[in-house]
Amino acid sequence: MTAPTAPTAPTTPTTAADAQVYLAAVDRELADLPAEDRSELLDDLAMHLAALEEEADDRPLVARLGSPTDYAAELRAAAGLPERSDPSKDGRAAALLQAAQRLRASRAVRELADFSAQLRPAWWVLRGYLVVLVPRLRHIDGTRDFPVPTLLGSHLIGGAAVAVAVAMSVALGRRQLPRLGTLAVLALDLVILLGAANILLDGQWRADRTRVAYVTSSAGDLFVDSPLITEQHGPVTNILAYAADGKPLSGVLLYDQDGRPLMTGQQHWFADGCRRILTLPRAADGTPVANSYPKPYVLDPEGRTLNGDPVTAGQCVVLTPPKVPLPTFPKPVASARGTH
Amino acid sequence: MDASQLVKGLLDVAVLAVVRDEDGYGYDVVRRLRAAGLEDVGDASVYGTLRRLYSAGALTSYVVPSDEGPHRKYYAINERGRSVLEDGAKTWRAFADTVDNVLGISRVAA
Repeated sequence: MTAPTAPTAPTTPTTAADAQVYLAAVDRELADLPAEDRSELLDDLAMHLAALEEEADDRPLVARLGSPTDYAAELRAAAGLPERSDPSKDGRAAALLQAAQRLRASRAVRELADFSAQLRPAWWVLRGYLVVLVPRLRHIDGTRDFPVPTLLGSHLIGGAAVAVAVAMSVALGRRQLPRLGTLAVLALDLVILLGAANILLDGQWRADRTRVAYVTSSAGDLFVDSPLITEQHGPVTNILAYAADGKPLSGVLLYDQDGRPLMTGQQHWFADGCRRILTLPRAADGTPVANSYPKPYVLDPEGRTLNGDPVTAGQCVVLTPPKVPLPTFPKPVASARGTH
Repeated sequence: MDASQLVKGLLDVAVLAVVRDEDGYGYDVVRRLRAAGLEDVGDASVYGTLRRLYSAGALTSYVVPSDEGPHRKYYAINERGRSVLEDGAKTWRAFADTVDNVLGISRVAA
């Protein structure tokens, strides 16, 4: 436009012609605005383009300012002017809506909708069951919660809770709820489903890890050769011995009826998520004594969690032995001593 | 959060601030904002904001003809603009303090 810029003009992509094309394109995007707004905005842009032309910047206008459509949209937004009402876009939206209606009317979709409507009562029943079961499965306390969850230590109470929850869930499903209520129920359904999915995946993961630990750990072979397994609670990982007066014993050596050392499984999982290492007492020749009970577990000195991540402060707790139902024996009768 | 979204909301205050001491034409304002660190601000956003502030009576404008190069439309802040700027600065300060506070607390908790 001016004398000094003339020599560089051929190598600069931003020419007056480019500017005219850009300006015209933005003008088209602003076509629906009142004449005054439109002419002011275009005047500004024309001056801006002229100023840019003076710079020796060889990027094309689109790279510096964005596409004319984007520029116009940004200009409108910043100037507080309404968004472009685009008749062609309205047409597309209408066509899309029509297609959606056709799809909804189609046989396959109708049948699918009918089928899922028929399945709803089944979900209400399942939901009632899961509401009781999922929190129990999440809480690992050594009780057997599948298929009938325990509640307050009793399968009977757990079963009764399931029955009540199923009845409530079905009643809730049959009721016509206001919009907000429906949304709340949907959210609840989602939480329950996620909780159940989480437990399924978690259980799978733990099963995989346990299997790996058994196969790869050569030290583990010592303990899992034939570990004690109870039918109801699975592998026994430790044995707690008490004297008749209730005093806990340590370093008790256990053997089976044929004199074989009694082995238990190794505990890999702890409720606080911290990794622990089994530190068996050793005989004089240095061999670990695997049938000495209770087996002492100490925190991994590297401070790792079960996943191998560093533990966070305060995460690991001191393991306390469970409360055991110690029997009360009759007091030794004085004459008993005399008879022997 | 996307910083450009934040910037958009604050553009009124920023534009008024860069013409507080010296009138400026459109491209001038763009360059001042960029020089101040608002590099992501689009040219269109600045021109749109100038137009809106002008329509709202916070800025006045005048054209300076030029023999060399294009005419320039200068924008100047007026009394109304100054009070808008003052209010905006106060609002920002309060907001920034609140956010600082919140971030400070969450840092401690983490």
